[in-house]
Amino acid sequence: MSNFIDYLLRIRLPIVVFVALVSFVFTFYASKAERDSVGYSPDQPIAFSHKLHAGTMQIDCQYCHTGVEKTRFATIPTAGVCMNCHTQARTDRPEIIKLTEYYKSGKPIPWKRIHETAQYAYFNHSVHVSRGIDCASCHGDVANMEKISQVNPFNMSDCLDCHRNPEKKLPYLKNVNKGPQHCWACHR
Amino acid sequence: MSDQNKDRKDVKRDELWRSVDEYNAGGVTDETQYHEFAPGVKEEFDVDKELSGISRRKFLALMSASAAFMAAGCSDYRDKGELMPYNRKPDDITIGEANFYASTYMGCGHACGVLIKTREGRPIKVDGNPDHPVNAGKVCAKGQASVMDLYDPQRFSEPQTVNQGEYTPAKWQDVDGKVIAQLTLGGEGSAVFISHKVHSPTAIKLMGELQEKYKSVRFIYYDLFAAENRTNAWKKCYGEDSVPAVIKWDEADVILALEASLFGTDGNSIEQHRMIRDRRDVNNTKKFNRLYSAEANFTTTGANADYRIRIKPEHYYDFVLTLMNEVSKRGKGKGVIPESLSGKLSAFTVDAFSKKAQLSEKGRKSLNALIGDLVSNGSKSIVYAGEAVPEDVQVLVHLLNEVTGGSALYSDTVANVELHKYSTSKEIAGLVADMKAGKVSLLVNMDANPVYHFPKELGFEEALKKVKLVVSMALLPNETSYSSNFVLPLNHDFESWGDAKIRSNFTSTMQPVIAPLYNTRQKEAILLQWLSGKTDGYKDTNYLDYLKAAWKENYKGNNFNKFWAGSLHDGVSMITDAKVVAPKFTLKDVPTENPLKPGKTAVILAESYALGDGRHANNGWLQELPHTISKVTWDNYAAISEKTSKDLGAKTDSLIEVSLNGKKVTLPVLVQPGVADDTVIVELGYGRTKCPVVALEVGQDVSVFQKTMNEKVFTTATIAVAEGSYTLASTQDHYTYDKSIVNTDDAHLKRHIIQEGTLAQFIANPKFLKGEKPSSVSLYPNHEYPGVKWGMTIDLNKCTGCGNCSVACSIENNVPVVGKDQVIKGREMQWMRIDRYYSGTPEDPDASVQPMLCQHCDNAPCENVCPVAATQHSIDGLNQMVYNRCVGTRYCSNNCPYKVRRFNFFDFRDHFANGYYYEEPVNLANNPEVTVRPRGVMEKCTFCVHRIEEARSKALAEGRPLKGSDVKTACQEACPADAISFGDLNDKQSDFNLFHEHDLAYTVLEELNIKANVRYIARLQNTTAEEV
Repeated sequence: MSNFIDYLLRIRLPIVVFVALVSFVFTFYASKAERDSVGYSPDQPIAFSHKLHAGTMQIDCQYCHTGVEKTRFATIPTAGVCMNCHTQARTDRPEIIKLTEYYKSGKPIPWKRIHETAQYAYFNHSVHVSRGIDCASCHGDVANMEKISQVNPFNMSDCLDCHRNPEKKLPYLKNVNKGPQHCWACHR
Repeated sequence: MSDQNKDRKDVKRDELWRSVDEYNAGGVTDETQYHEFAPGVKEEFDVDKELSGISRRKFLALMSASAAFMAAGCSDYRDKGELMPYNRKPDDITIGEANFYASTYMGCGHACGVLIKTREGRPIKVDGNPDHPVNAGKVCAKGQASVMDLYDPQRFSEPQTVNQGEYTPAKWQDVDGKVIAQLTLGGEGSAVFISHKVHSPTAIKLMGELQEKYKSVRFIYYDLFAAENRTNAWKKCYGEDSVPAVIKWDEADVILALEASLFGTDGNSIEQHRMIRDRRDVNNTKKFNRLYSAEANFTTTGANADYRIRIKPEHYYDFVLTLMNEVSKRGKGKGVIPESLSGKLSAFTVDAFSKKAQLSEKGRKSLNALIGDLVSNGSKSIVYAGEAVPEDVQVLVHLLNEVTGGSALYSDTVANVELHKYSTSKEIAGLVADMKAGKVSLLVNMDANPVYHFPKELGFEEALKKVKLVVSMALLPNETSYSSNFVLPLNHDFESWGDAKIRSNFTSTMQPVIAPLYNTRQKEAILLQWLSGKTDGYKDTNYLDYLKAAWKENYKGNNFNKFWAGSLHDGVSMITDAKVVAPKFTLKDVPTENPLKPGKTAVILAESYALGDGRHANNGWLQELPHTISKVTWDNYAAISEKTSKDLGAKTDSLIEVSLNGKKVTLPVLVQPGVADDTVIVELGYGRTKCPVVALEVGQDVSVFQKTMNEKVFTTATIAVAEGSYTLASTQDHYTYDKSIVNTDDAHLKRHIIQEGTLAQFIANPKFLKGEKPSSVSLYPNHEYPGVKWGMTIDLNKCTGCGNCSVACSIENNVPVVGKDQVIKGREMQWMRIDRYYSGTPEDPDASVQPMLCQHCDNAPCENVCPVAATQHSIDGLNQMVYNRCVGTRYCSNNCPYKVRRFNFFDFRDHFANGYYYEEPVNLANNPEVTVRPRGVMEKCTFCVHRIEEARSKALAEGRPLKGSDVKTACQEACPADAISFGDLNDKQSDFNLFHEHDLAYTVLEELNIKANVRYIARLQNTTAEEV
């Protein structure tokens, strides 16, 4: 009997604990990207290429994301904005035909959401942009993305990293102040 | 001390108390003050019943199953749903930014200008239109709460056929066809349209055209509260075509309110708040006015009066004549008093009146002071009699103003506008007789509710059955729509076009801020359709075209479109009307008999500030707004004096039966300090029976006592105790604390919760309040506030306790309605409450009000005790509450000395009335900038932090530092008296900060050294100099 207990405690228990720990640590890191949605890149209703528009053609982000300087929301462009060009440009391409159909039907285009802060966080785009923070600092090099995907995690710790050490995270900004770190700056 | 007070503890003059029970017990009301929970709250919670009884095995099984699902779900990214942009964005919408539209609110007789805040096209908040000359940027609780009416889930969404209260959908064309046929066929006067007051000149024009086309049409106008006695008396005195003058309240040095709630239900309370309270500026003490109140009820006006005289209704007449006699004796108003009266007048002396009305020593002193003031301030004094005061006494009041010279305060620049006369009681009785005789073939109820409002004795509901076709235009089901043949659903004000003219020199406009949510039309558009005589061709813009054409007719300039757009934008259009004709008192034959014969018990039917005539009853925010004085929610009740209650053997929550005019109503009792003896005060507008669930059977309908609608006071009632009891949901004894801890009887006083003085005291020694500072040692280091530091100052000289701030706060911050059962348990959720304390005796009490909200203390006691750091201190001086951290221990609430934290015991939206406020489309009313809190978390005032953050981001975008004046809180915006100021305490030279540091400023519970950032400016009573 005592041998059996001895075996349990000396051999079996450490093995179990070890396996559990290793698998936890492994899963924790292996799944971190997924938990944080890093690399999330779902199929969109229209295969819009940021690389083509923002990269090759150098259209400014704000041509489409009009709210980014004014309000909390960067805003997704309306079908109408796309049609500013696409009533003329490339009207024969299948994706543009899809777009035109959406536009004519009056229905919104159901873009899949990529970036999301927690619902109880009230992130404000205009504050950040008006301080000169580059879109790419959070959203990555969108201008080189054929299909849009998330590159940085959007957790509170990631927000705070930057708010605490902006000079490290945003080296291109001169005389940068620390961001607010009190709760109601974002939650309310 | 009289006999009945024998068992009383000797209460000091200055001690504060909250209810008669507390007064009599010398402070201890009941056991509740020693306990955290209200009685019965813990006992009745049965875990087995209230929570589903899951066994341990089942729980484990569910847990493992959900873990397995989770593991399965881990294999891919979480789906985040879709982002839906507009297809084509409307030009004027910026997502995330509010739009404001000027319009007019038609929910009562005043048609105040409003500014409606919309987010992404949906209205979420209503404030006053600052450009409006009458309400100048403020609007009452009803106007504030009207957002909820728009989103009421029980609104009619399409026309209905009604059969004994069963509603089945119908078609517009069918109903229109039937009505048009009836209009064409009917003989003269056979088509009756019943409406409340119409404010719109264009609607009146349209109604005139309808009458011209169909000779059968006649209109009946009524309102349950229309100040008819006052208006009729005015017409007697000044001529049939004369309209009661606009009073220059801001120029009045002495104001006497006779049974009038100037800060509540009589006249335009918003304007009166502004003009009367503006004169109570502690930085301009020379301009202080003096407010007298003589009343049987205890109103906010009485509570805020410098002198209050308690009189019974049967003494109104003697009271006015006493004033007239004493004033004229001292040389006022020579030759004004008609001979028929002047001979009788000498009998009405102060002595005689004091004896007859059994005035207390205090009452007699007040009366003498009043007479003195009326004599010395003559043309700067005004006497105003309220809704209940009978017509004959109103005539005498108008005469008294002529005698004192107070009529000089009638405005000579603006006049009230009367677009139509109200139908007389005779006309209404005649209508019912016609209906009974079968002479009425079509009855159209234009958004009124005659079945509920008309005196029951007339038998209107019965008579409806004799009418061939009854059509009700309505927003929500009501008593009249129930008895109709068809219901035509109406647009809410926010979905309608219109205009309003209530005063000369301007017209206000009403514009829709949202497209009709349902298949509804506005009243005027329905009439227009009938006028066309066709059932097709309806367009939403029909009435807009008509309105514009009507405006164009009167427009003299050359760019109408610009003028029209400007008028809509501003919400008001300034025009110059004919000069005001000074009213000339012509009446010779003044009443010389008291219209109210003394009887056993008097009854006053008062108006509810929140519900009005009952049409706002289905609005939870208004039902839950505590009554300004009694703090009762969700009910009406019989308010009686302590003496009367003792004579009867009744106490608060007993039932009594009131018998009057052969009718009997059983009502719960509330012993109300300050109410006249042998007088019962009950509010109308309750006891709705055929309406959605919020209003259903809340309180009792006491309109059964009325023979005519303008009759609001009776002296011949009898009362008797009835069997049983009934619990009123009053919040007046909530948040009591164990006084034994403070080891003193007059705790309120020693703890400086209410600090007051007299004007003379202040002038003699401005620092009279500043006693010795309590010593302040803190174990914690002080917080640092490098940037702005937010603070609030509430001026108790201006605050009247009306409660508008409370409603505004609830709407701004998505505060849920909890329902009567939860209010009884002390779980009301309003972040801002108005505390009301009495002092003196229950017979002649003084009342003090104090808005109480989170004080955002520097050394906040709540912060230290939270085990999960869910409440924290911010760098700009706010006491932050983080919902997603809160686990609901409620330690913070326990440790808060002000008791301003509110706990979500339930998901109240779900819990209240079977999830009434979870139904579509109520969620559209939510402010998207404020989190909707779930069950189990604590919440409290945030100083409108979302507005602060919005202002901060704006300042950042403009590259300037944030200033204190950039932010206005919702309560501050809503306060009609401008009692609340908000700003930056670190900006030492700002007006706000100087006011915050005023000699009269104090913090509540200063001795606790918690350094509250809300300060109160002590109220100064403007008593006469002799009293100091």
